[in-house]
Amino acid sequence: MLPPLKPIPIKDRVSVVFVEKGQLDVLDSAFVVVDKTGVRTHIPVGGVACLMLEPGTRISHAAVVLASRVGCLLVWIGDGGVRLYASGQPGGARADRLLWQASLALDDEARLKVVRKMYSMRFQEEAPARRSVQQLRGIEGARVRKMYELLARQYRVDWKWREYDHTQWGSGDIPNRCLSAATACLYGVTEAAILAAGYAPAVGFIHTGKPQSFVYDIADLFKFDTVVPTAFRIAARTPDDPERAVRLACRDAFRQTRLLHRIIPAIEEVLAAGGLPVPTPTAEHVEPAIPNKEALGDAGHRG
Amino acid sequence: MLVIVVENVPARLRGRLAVWLLEIRAGVYVGKYGRRVRELIWHQIREDLGEGNAVMAWSTNNENGFDFETLGQNRRLPVDHDGLRLVSFLPMSSQEPLAPLQPAAPVDGGDGN
Repeated sequence: MLPPLKPIPIKDRVSVVFVEKGQLDVLDSAFVVVDKTGVRTHIPVGGVACLMLEPGTRISHAAVVLASRVGCLLVWIGDGGVRLYASGQPGGARADRLLWQASLALDDEARLKVVRKMYSMRFQEEAPARRSVQQLRGIEGARVRKMYELLARQYRVDWKWREYDHTQWGSGDIPNRCLSAATACLYGVTEAAILAAGYAPAVGFIHTGKPQSFVYDIADLFKFDTVVPTAFRIAARTPDDPERAVRLACRDAFRQTRLLHRIIPAIEEVLAAGGLPVPTPTAEHVEPAIPNKEALGDAGHRG
Repeated sequence: MLVIVVENVPARLRGRLAVWLLEIRAGVYVGKYGRRVRELIWHQIREDLGEGNAVMAWSTNNENGFDFETLGQNRRLPVDHDGLRLVSFLPMSSQEPLAPLQPAAPVDGGDGN
């Protein structure tokens, strides 16, 4: 008998795989995409951080079970990356991390420290002293606009501003479309990492009110050294199929910047800056009757 | 690391491969060589493949950590999936596609080749 399946650490995985059409199923215990002519293509889901399902895919219950056993995040996306729904590791499997994240987000002082840490990680300098979260957001917005302009000039892209209609994929100019495709890749990988580490994607520090607020917070830390230069580099070439070209280039950018190695440590570093201890169980808590097994995966993976 | 698998190739080619590589199973050769030697070996296979087919995989610095190349006809076809290389497995005969998947078909009819 084969031993049960366990997730492997997210840093050892391939970042993201897009599936455009076909039926996703389990054949001979392996995850396959079968097209209508019967050609099957194996996807090594256990070695993938995040699987993006585009319109035109159908997935069987067995396939979802397998993806969740091996800790692969499934993200259902619309045409070219407008996010619809996600699953795979819903919620995060570690209450201590969730409580820690929530306590940091609820404590104004700790939240400001976390936001300041995010600022210093993004811009490689201390955030100006005695500013509120609101003021820091303003400064950040201005700096981000400047960085867009700077990078656009560097890659010789005709850049006006970040503008798109989020309900219409084809809207916006080429650079904006490239940026949207690139950030969609980054958000998928980031959400997979947040869930794998045991945190909640919805509990944000700068962003709020969205199922992926924390995803936006963390993705912003890496945006300007991974996907933005990549998107502009592709936009400058004005390819026929910008979305596909961007995805290809994002894969390289994620590998070159070792994103999957850095992302979970970065999450911990940011939250540690809040200065609150990780909550310990109280005396009234009941310990698990069956102890948790040692597993290879990250803290948030259900072993 | 370099791995070569050959199927249905002339015996002289198998002997030739054994000059550089260790045949750990019938038709499965492993070794550790750089790009130049790898290309030399692949050239030899290309010259004397006959009716057979061959695949060569080697470690390299891409996201997979390896890459591979194929020669000859085989039911497994390499496909490029947004820069990630996967393999498609063709049904037995292209005229007769596999029945469309029934929901919850537990057993697969393929022979695993």
